Amino acid sequence: MEPNWAAENLQTIRTLMERSAVYRRALAPIMIFAGLLGLAAAATGLLFHLDSMRAFGGLWLGTAAFVVAGAFFIARRQAIKDHEPFWSPPTRRVTQALIPPLLAGMAIGVCPAFFPEAEKDLNFCSVIVWIMFYGCALHAAGFFMPRGVKVFGWLFIVSACGVFYAFALGDLNSNFSAHWLMGFFFGVLHLAYGAYLYLTEKGKNAA
Amino acid sequence: MNPEPYLQLDRVIHEKGRLAIMSMLAASPELSFTELRDALAMTDGNLTTHIRALQETGYVSVAKSYQNRRPLTTCSLTATGRKAFREYVNLLEQIVQQNRPK
Repeated sequence: MEPNWAAENLQTIRTLMERSAVYRRALAPIMIFAGLLGLAAAATGLLFHLDSMRAFGGLWLGTAAFVVAGAFFIARRQAIKDHEPFWSPPTRRVTQALIPPLLAGMAIGVCPAFFPEAEKDLNFCSVIVWIMFYGCALHAAGFFMPRGVKVFGWLFIVSACGVFYAFALGDLNSNFSAHWLMGFFFGVLHLAYGAYLYLTEKGKNAA
Repeated sequence: MNPEPYLQLDRVIHEKGRLAIMSMLAASPELSFTELRDALAMTDGNLTTHIRALQETGYVSVAKSYQNRRPLTTCSLTATGRKAFREYVNLLEQIVQQNRPK
Protein backbone atom coordinates (compact mmCIF):
# COMPACT_ATOMS: atom_id res chain seq x y z
CA MET A 1 0.00 0.00 0.00
CA GLU A 2 1.42 3.38 -1.02
CA PRO A 3 2.07 5.28 2.24
CA ASN A 4 1.26 8.69 0.78
CA TRP A 5 -2.20 7.90 -0.53
CA ALA A 6 -3.91 9.15 2.65
CA ALA A 7 -2.10 12.49 2.50
CA GLU A 8 -2.92 12.76 -1.21
CA ASN A 9 -6.58 12.02 -0.51
CA LEU A 10 -6.64 14.70 2.17
CA GLN A 11 -5.06 17.18 -0.24
CA THR A 12 -7.68 16.31 -2.89
CA ILE A 13 -10.47 16.80 -0.35
CA ARG A 14 -9.04 20.18 0.66
CA THR A 15 -8.72 21.32 -2.96
CA LEU A 16 -12.25 20.24 -3.85
CA MET A 17 -13.74 21.84 -0.74
CA GLU A 18 -11.95 25.10 -1.55
CA ARG A 19 -13.12 24.95 -5.14
CA SER A 20 -16.65 24.42 -3.93
CA ALA A 21 -16.68 27.09 -1.24
CA VAL A 22 -14.03 29.73 -1.76
CA TYR A 23 -13.96 32.33 -4.49
CA ARG A 24 -10.38 32.24 -5.71
CA ARG A 25 -10.24 34.32 -8.87
CA ALA A 26 -7.20 36.58 -8.90
CA LEU A 27 -8.33 39.76 -7.19
CA ALA A 28 -5.15 41.74 -7.90
CA PRO A 29 -6.19 42.98 -11.39
CA ILE A 30 -9.66 43.90 -10.10
CA MET A 31 -8.23 45.85 -7.16
CA ILE A 32 -5.68 47.64 -9.34
CA PHE A 33 -8.38 48.51 -11.88
CA ALA A 34 -10.66 49.83 -9.09
CA GLY A 35 -7.78 51.80 -7.57
CA LEU A 36 -6.83 53.43 -10.85
CA LEU A 37 -10.42 54.43 -11.58
CA GLY A 38 -10.78 55.74 -8.01
CA LEU A 39 -7.70 57.92 -8.41
CA ALA A 40 -8.86 59.14 -11.82
CA ALA A 41 -12.29 60.05 -10.40
CA ALA A 42 -10.75 61.89 -7.45
CA ALA A 43 -8.44 63.83 -9.79
CA THR A 44 -11.40 64.71 -12.03
CA GLY A 45 -13.46 65.89 -9.06
CA LEU A 46 -10.64 68.02 -7.70
CA LEU A 47 -9.63 69.43 -11.06
CA PHE A 48 -13.13 70.44 -12.15
CA HIS A 49 -14.34 71.35 -8.64
CA LEU A 50 -17.24 68.91 -8.79
CA ASP A 51 -18.29 69.74 -5.25
CA SER A 52 -22.02 70.24 -5.60
CA MET A 53 -24.07 67.40 -4.17
CA ARG A 54 -25.30 66.22 -7.55
CA ALA A 55 -21.95 66.47 -9.30
CA PHE A 56 -20.20 64.70 -6.44
CA GLY A 57 -22.78 61.89 -6.25
CA GLY A 58 -22.96 61.54 -10.03
CA LEU A 59 -19.19 61.34 -10.43
CA TRP A 60 -18.70 58.68 -7.78
CA LEU A 61 -21.76 56.60 -8.56
CA GLY A 62 -20.74 56.63 -12.23
CA THR A 63 -17.25 55.53 -11.23
CA ALA A 64 -18.72 52.75 -9.08
CA ALA A 65 -20.80 51.53 -12.04
CA PHE A 66 -17.66 51.44 -14.24
CA VAL A 67 -15.73 49.55 -11.56
CA VAL A 68 -18.49 46.95 -11.17
CA ALA A 69 -18.72 46.47 -14.95
CA GLY A 70 -14.93 46.24 -15.24
CA ALA A 71 -14.65 43.77 -12.35
CA PHE A 72 -17.33 41.62 -13.96
CA PHE A 73 -15.45 41.68 -17.26
CA ILE A 74 -12.08 40.82 -15.65
CA ALA A 75 -13.53 37.93 -13.60
CA ARG A 76 -15.37 36.56 -16.61
CA ARG A 77 -12.23 36.70 -18.73
CA GLN A 78 -10.30 34.80 -16.04
CA ALA A 79 -13.03 32.15 -15.91
CA ILE A 80 -12.96 31.69 -19.69
CA LYS A 81 -9.17 31.48 -19.63
CA ASP A 82 -9.29 28.78 -16.94
CA HIS A 83 -12.06 26.89 -18.82
CA GLU A 84 -14.32 27.17 -15.79
CA PRO A 85 -17.90 28.37 -15.43
CA PHE A 86 -18.11 32.06 -14.55
CA TRP A 87 -21.32 31.85 -12.54
CA SER A 88 -19.92 29.24 -10.15
CA PRO A 89 -21.38 28.61 -6.67
CA PRO A 90 -18.63 30.71 -4.96
CA THR A 91 -19.22 33.58 -7.41
CA ARG A 92 -22.92 33.41 -6.67
CA ARG A 93 -22.35 33.47 -2.92
CA VAL A 94 -19.88 36.37 -3.12
CA THR A 95 -22.37 38.34 -5.23
CA GLN A 96 -25.20 37.56 -2.80
CA ALA A 97 -23.04 38.75 0.10
CA LEU A 98 -22.00 41.96 -1.68
CA ILE A 99 -25.39 43.12 -2.93
CA PRO A 100 -27.30 44.07 0.29
CA PRO A 101 -24.64 46.34 1.84
CA LEU A 102 -23.75 47.88 -1.52
CA LEU A 103 -27.40 48.62 -2.33
CA ALA A 104 -28.01 50.03 1.16
CA GLY A 105 -24.90 52.20 0.92
CA MET A 106 -25.91 53.45 -2.49
CA ALA A 107 -29.50 54.17 -1.41
CA ILE A 108 -28.43 56.17 1.66
CA GLY A 109 -25.37 57.77 0.11
CA VAL A 110 -27.30 59.05 -2.87
CA CYS A 111 -29.93 60.84 -0.73
CA PRO A 112 -28.07 64.17 -0.50
CA ALA A 113 -28.11 64.39 -4.30
CA PHE A 114 -31.85 65.05 -4.06
CA PHE A 115 -31.15 68.20 -2.05
CA PRO A 116 -29.01 70.30 -4.39
CA GLU A 117 -29.10 73.35 -2.12
CA ALA A 118 -27.96 71.34 0.90
CA GLU A 119 -24.68 72.12 2.65
CA LYS A 120 -21.50 70.85 1.03
CA ASP A 121 -20.84 69.05 4.32
CA LEU A 122 -23.34 66.43 3.23
CA ASN A 123 -20.70 65.17 0.77
CA PHE A 124 -18.76 64.01 3.81
CA CYS A 125 -21.83 62.15 5.06
CA SER A 126 -22.05 60.31 1.73
CA VAL A 127 -18.36 59.48 1.91
CA ILE A 128 -18.67 58.06 5.43
CA VAL A 129 -21.72 56.00 4.47
CA TRP A 130 -20.07 54.68 1.33
CA ILE A 131 -16.85 53.73 3.10
CA MET A 132 -18.79 52.09 5.93
CA PHE A 133 -21.12 50.06 3.71
CA TYR A 134 -18.36 49.15 1.29
CA GLY A 135 -16.38 47.80 4.24
CA CYS A 136 -19.43 45.79 5.37
CA ALA A 137 -19.81 44.41 1.82
CA LEU A 138 -16.15 43.34 1.70
CA HIS A 139 -16.42 41.78 5.13
CA ALA A 140 -19.54 39.82 4.16
CA ALA A 141 -17.96 38.63 0.90
CA GLY A 142 -14.80 37.76 2.85
CA PHE A 143 -16.56 34.71 4.31
CA PHE A 144 -16.31 33.14 0.86
CA MET A 145 -12.97 34.59 -0.13
CA PRO A 146 -9.38 34.50 1.12
CA ARG A 147 -9.02 35.91 4.63
CA GLY A 148 -7.32 39.14 3.54
CA VAL A 149 -10.58 40.49 2.12
CA LYS A 150 -12.22 40.45 5.55
CA VAL A 151 -9.29 42.38 7.02
CA PHE A 152 -9.53 44.85 4.14
CA GLY A 153 -13.24 45.25 4.92
CA TRP A 154 -12.46 45.91 8.59
CA LEU A 155 -10.00 48.59 7.53
CA PHE A 156 -12.80 50.43 5.73
CA ILE A 157 -15.27 50.02 8.61
CA VAL A 158 -12.84 51.27 11.25
CA SER A 159 -11.69 54.13 9.01
CA ALA A 160 -15.29 55.19 8.37
CA CYS A 161 -15.86 55.35 12.13
CA GLY A 162 -12.68 57.43 12.48
CA VAL A 163 -13.71 59.83 9.73
CA PHE A 164 -17.18 60.11 11.26
CA TYR A 165 -15.80 61.08 14.67
CA ALA A 166 -13.30 63.48 13.13
CA PHE A 167 -16.17 65.07 11.23
CA ALA A 168 -18.53 65.14 14.24
CA LEU A 169 -15.86 66.65 16.50
CA GLY A 170 -15.14 69.31 13.89
CA ASP A 171 -11.57 68.17 13.27
CA LEU A 172 -12.29 67.83 9.57
CA ASN A 173 -12.08 71.17 7.80
CA SER A 174 -15.13 71.54 5.58
CA ASN A 175 -13.01 73.43 3.01
CA PHE A 176 -11.15 70.17 2.55
CA SER A 177 -12.65 68.44 -0.49
CA ALA A 178 -14.37 65.09 0.07
CA HIS A 179 -12.72 63.93 -3.19
CA TRP A 180 -9.45 63.58 -1.28
CA LEU A 181 -11.06 61.10 1.08
CA MET A 182 -12.69 59.17 -1.77
CA GLY A 183 -9.40 59.17 -3.69
CA PHE A 184 -7.56 57.82 -0.68
CA PHE A 185 -10.04 55.07 0.24
CA PHE A 186 -11.22 53.99 -3.19
CA GLY A 187 -8.02 54.82 -5.07
CA VAL A 188 -4.88 54.54 -2.98
CA LEU A 189 -6.05 51.72 -0.67
CA HIS A 190 -7.26 49.60 -3.58
CA LEU A 191 -4.02 50.14 -5.46
CA ALA A 192 -2.01 49.21 -2.38
CA TYR A 193 -4.09 46.08 -1.76
CA GLY A 194 -3.90 45.18 -5.46
CA ALA A 195 -0.10 45.50 -5.40
CA TYR A 196 0.07 43.37 -2.25
CA LEU A 197 -2.13 40.69 -3.85
CA TYR A 198 -0.17 40.82 -7.08
CA LEU A 199 3.03 40.02 -5.19
CA THR A 200 1.50 37.33 -2.97
CA GLU A 201 -1.04 35.69 -5.31
CA LYS A 202 1.44 35.06 -8.10
CA GLY A 203 1.98 31.41 -8.75
CA LYS A 204 -0.53 30.08 -6.24
CA ASN A 205 -3.69 31.11 -7.99
CA ALA A 206 -5.99 29.08 -10.12
CA ALA A 207 -9.63 29.52 -9.31
CA MET B 1 1.81 0.02 11.09
CA ASN B 2 -1.59 -0.34 12.71
CA PRO B 3 -4.05 -1.37 9.96
CA GLU B 4 -7.05 -0.52 12.17
CA PRO B 5 -7.87 2.97 10.75
CA TYR B 6 -7.53 1.73 7.19
CA LEU B 7 -9.97 -1.11 7.83
CA GLN B 8 -12.47 1.32 9.35
CA LEU B 9 -12.53 3.57 6.26
CA ASP B 10 -16.01 3.88 4.81
CA ARG B 11 -15.88 1.98 1.49
CA VAL B 12 -18.76 4.00 0.05
CA ILE B 13 -16.91 7.28 0.47
CA HIS B 14 -13.48 5.84 -0.29
CA GLU B 15 -14.19 5.48 -4.00
CA LYS B 16 -12.53 8.35 -5.91
CA GLY B 17 -15.62 9.74 -7.64
CA ARG B 18 -17.84 9.56 -4.57
CA LEU B 19 -15.13 11.11 -2.40
CA ALA B 20 -14.98 14.05 -4.82
CA ILE B 21 -18.77 14.49 -4.67
CA MET B 22 -18.80 14.30 -0.87
CA SER B 23 -15.94 16.83 -0.65
CA MET B 24 -17.71 19.32 -2.88
CA LEU B 25 -20.99 18.95 -1.00
CA ALA B 26 -19.29 19.18 2.41
CA ALA B 27 -18.24 22.76 1.64
CA SER B 28 -21.55 23.93 0.20
CA PRO B 29 -25.11 23.96 1.50
CA GLU B 30 -26.22 22.44 -1.82
CA LEU B 31 -25.02 22.11 -5.40
CA SER B 32 -26.91 21.49 -8.57
CA PHE B 33 -26.31 18.39 -10.65
CA THR B 34 -24.84 20.57 -13.42
CA GLU B 35 -22.47 22.35 -11.08
CA LEU B 36 -21.18 19.05 -9.72
CA ARG B 37 -20.86 17.56 -13.20
CA ASP B 38 -18.94 20.58 -14.54
CA ALA B 39 -16.71 20.99 -11.49
CA LEU B 40 -15.75 17.31 -11.39
CA ALA B 41 -15.67 16.79 -15.16
CA MET B 42 -17.87 13.69 -14.89
CA THR B 43 -20.33 12.36 -17.41
CA ASP B 44 -24.05 12.52 -16.61
CA GLY B 45 -24.23 8.74 -16.31
CA ASN B 46 -21.20 8.45 -14.05
CA LEU B 47 -22.41 11.19 -11.74
CA THR B 48 -25.92 9.73 -11.59
CA THR B 49 -24.53 6.32 -10.61
CA HIS B 50 -22.36 7.77 -7.83
CA ILE B 51 -25.14 9.99 -6.51
CA ARG B 52 -27.55 7.06 -6.49
CA ALA B 53 -25.05 5.01 -4.45
CA LEU B 54 -24.62 7.88 -1.97
CA GLN B 55 -28.38 8.38 -1.82
CA GLU B 56 -28.97 4.70 -1.06
CA THR B 57 -26.58 4.83 1.89
CA GLY B 58 -28.38 7.94 3.12
CA TYR B 59 -25.38 10.27 2.72
CA VAL B 60 -26.82 12.55 0.05
CA SER B 61 -30.31 13.89 -0.47
CA VAL B 62 -31.53 14.88 -3.90
CA ALA B 63 -34.25 17.48 -4.49
CA LYS B 64 -35.95 18.10 -7.79
CA SER B 65 -37.53 21.46 -8.61
CA TYR B 66 -37.91 23.93 -11.45
CA GLN B 67 -35.94 27.08 -12.19
CA ASN B 68 -37.03 29.30 -15.06
CA ARG B 69 -39.34 26.47 -16.17
CA ARG B 70 -36.41 24.09 -16.46
CA PRO B 71 -35.93 21.08 -14.19
CA LEU B 72 -33.30 21.60 -11.53
CA THR B 73 -31.77 18.77 -9.50
CA THR B 74 -29.90 19.80 -6.37
CA CYS B 75 -27.83 17.60 -4.09
CA SER B 76 -26.85 18.16 -0.47
CA LEU B 77 -25.24 16.16 2.30
CA THR B 78 -27.55 14.69 4.93
CA ALA B 79 -26.61 14.83 8.62
CA THR B 80 -25.53 11.18 8.36
CA GLY B 81 -23.44 11.96 5.30
CA ARG B 82 -21.76 14.89 7.01
CA LYS B 83 -20.93 12.74 10.04
CA ALA B 84 -19.60 9.91 7.86
CA PHE B 85 -17.47 12.36 5.87
CA ARG B 86 -16.04 13.87 9.06
CA GLU B 87 -15.18 10.40 10.38
CA TYR B 88 -13.58 9.48 7.06
CA VAL B 89 -11.38 12.60 7.15
CA ASN B 90 -10.45 11.91 10.79
CA LEU B 91 -9.36 8.38 9.87
CA LEU B 92 -7.29 9.69 6.96
CA GLU B 93 -5.58 12.09 9.35
CA GLN B 94 -4.82 9.21 11.72
CA ILE B 95 -3.29 7.22 8.86
CA VAL B 96 -1.17 10.21 7.84
CA GLN B 97 0.01 10.59 11.44
CA GLN B 98 0.96 6.91 11.60
CA ASN B 99 2.96 7.13 8.39
CA ARG B 100 4.82 10.24 9.44
CA PRO B 101 8.51 9.44 10.08
CA LYS B 102 9.41 9.76 13.76
